Amino acid sequence: MTLAFALGAFTLSAVLALGTYFSARHFLVEQRERTATRQAFTDSALVRDNLQTSGAEVDEVLGSLSPPAGAVIYVRRHGEWYSSGLDTSGPELTAEVQPVVADGSVGVGWTDTTDPSAVVVGIPLPAAEAEYYEVSVAEELDQTLRTLGLALAVCAGITTLVGAGVGRVASRRVLTPLEAVTTAAVRVSAGDLTTRLEPTDDPDLAALVGSFNHMVDALNQRIEQDARFAADVSHELRTPVTTLTTSLSLLQHTPDLSPRAEEAVRLMTDELTRFRRALEDLLTLGKLDAGHGEGDRVVIGAGELVDQALRATDHPPDLIRGEPVGGPEPMLRVDRVQVLRALTNLFRNADLHGGGLTGVVVVDGGDVVDVRVEDSGPGVPVADRTRVFERFARAGGQRAGTGSGLGLSIVEQIVRNHGGEVWCTDRPAGGAVFVVRLPSAKASGS
Amino acid sequence: MTRVLMVEDDAGLRASLRMVLEDEGYQVVEAADAERGLEVVVEPAGVDLMLVDLMLHGMDGFSFIRRARPQTEAPIVVVSARDGVEDIVAALEAGADDYVTKPFVVDEVKARLKALLRRPSMAGTQPREADVFVLDAQDGPLVFDRGAAALTRGGDEVHLTNTEFRLLSVLVDHAGRVLSRSSLLEHVWERGFFGDERIVDVHVRRLRKKVEADPSSPATLVTVRGLGYRLDVR
Repeated sequence: MTLAFALGAFTLSAVLALGTYFSARHFLVEQRERTATRQAFTDSALVRDNLQTSGAEVDEVLGSLSPPAGAVIYVRRHGEWYSSGLDTSGPELTAEVQPVVADGSVGVGWTDTTDPSAVVVGIPLPAAEAEYYEVSVAEELDQTLRTLGLALAVCAGITTLVGAGVGRVASRRVLTPLEAVTTAAVRVSAGDLTTRLEPTDDPDLAALVGSFNHMVDALNQRIEQDARFAADVSHELRTPVTTLTTSLSLLQHTPDLSPRAEEAVRLMTDELTRFRRALEDLLTLGKLDAGHGEGDRVVIGAGELVDQALRATDHPPDLIRGEPVGGPEPMLRVDRVQVLRALTNLFRNADLHGGGLTGVVVVDGGDVVDVRVEDSGPGVPVADRTRVFERFARAGGQRAGTGSGLGLSIVEQIVRNHGGEVWCTDRPAGGAVFVVRLPSAKASGS
Repeated sequence: MTRVLMVEDDAGLRASLRMVLEDEGYQVVEAADAERGLEVVVEPAGVDLMLVDLMLHGMDGFSFIRRARPQTEAPIVVVSARDGVEDIVAALEAGADDYVTKPFVVDEVKARLKALLRRPSMAGTQPREADVFVLDAQDGPLVFDRGAAALTRGGDEVHLTNTEFRLLSVLVDHAGRVLSRSSLLEHVWERGFFGDERIVDVHVRRLRKKVEADPSSPATLVTVRGLGYRLDVR
């Protein structure tokens, strides 16, 4: 923007300067010519009169004249050139004007043989059978024009600089608040709904700031309302679901049920289990969304956590491997129960959809710790690899298991709450790998 | 017969839980609100166990616990919302002994209640030769007789709840060694991995009040920062 202003100022000032210069020059040149012509007329009249009287010689006539300063008079008579000065450059200097004079008119021209240029005035003197030429060097004019040109150039330069300066200030005034708005917008879309713009005195910007802040307020409210709705609904469903499961357990322990009744009870139990798990997961997710820290963060070894998760899901503890082999155990600073839940969800996912958990690798990456959960199943198609972490997303063709469809989104939320990432990739040997990356204990300010 | 007080305001849940508990052989006394519950607590027949829903209308579960605790030694199990971890901790500190979260699995509740009522002598440990431990010879002496399930200081009996007994027992088994909170959760509460470790903290605090000469600067039941707890024999 500064550049635009500078360019504009430059163009404008250049145009003005050039315009001024050329019109001034034109005027001054014309003036000079008129002066020279007038002078020449006076002088030529004198020469003519002198020549006409008593048949005097041109030399004598010229000698008796005192031409104006900086001017030389040339006379051509009967093919001969005579000069008031000591030079013989008459023909050369007057070359341009000669044809006009030969025709019988007064000719005015310029010659740049001299330095600076000179005005050439040619006046025919038919009465004396001569041609009168006056060549006067435009010394003053030249200087005037030079000074004028310089002054205009300097002015143009200064104007350009001032323009650039103004452009700079203007751009800062306009762009800085726009940058602030952009930054704020980026923060809002990343999830920070506490972002607001500073109030401003500038009336032009006040409207923008006001409406931006208003928009974020409304957005925040909407999101909170949605979260509360989900939480309220789940809350309300808790007790009824508990009553259902409790009553159903009574039926399960009732002897002497008819086979049909037993079958019905079995179906209800399965469905209710799924329902209960979905509800639990929804409640968990709601709590995680709200970002309330569930418990204190503790420093615990990554290997120890994985070991607990393996045992909690009835897997043999020898599924765990560490990289680099034999290195010290990488430490994490986490909410133990939450991360445990994330890991067990991943292991259950591997069992349900990945044909069984085949290995867990804990990779010490210095500032980060990676936990790679490997299975030997069909893997996750590339197109689905972000989708699987969405709520209720199901990879195609999965078993209608007891999963709630929220397991992986819970994993993602937990990992994100800890400042980490989770993603899905594959192994060259086949099967899927879910990688959880968490900041190590030292990186998270232990 | 074991008398169980159930303080629950939802009629449906109350009815179904009653049936489950009666199937287990308990005698169930229902209370639809905290006031009625308090009346039952002070009845001459008393109660052996209390199941209290924290999400009550009217006087809330916390107030009930705070008022009931001084009146009886019976263990209190709170029923709370899944996302109410702070509630759980507050309830434990107010005097509750254990918790279940809604929606719960009935078998879990049954197991919880059984564990709380289990007589210490039936804890399943084999009788050992040294089942009497002198924990603190300087102030007391403080003697823990595991076989008789009694803790005495200078001859006076100190009453322990079943949970406190089991906690002390586990610590004594590992005397001089640090036990992490999660392993205590496993051994004492058999809860395993998903329990909230703060339940351990609350019970350690309670145990200290009974075991330490000066509970604010524990000498027997020490905290090892960042690692867990340790029982030191003096």
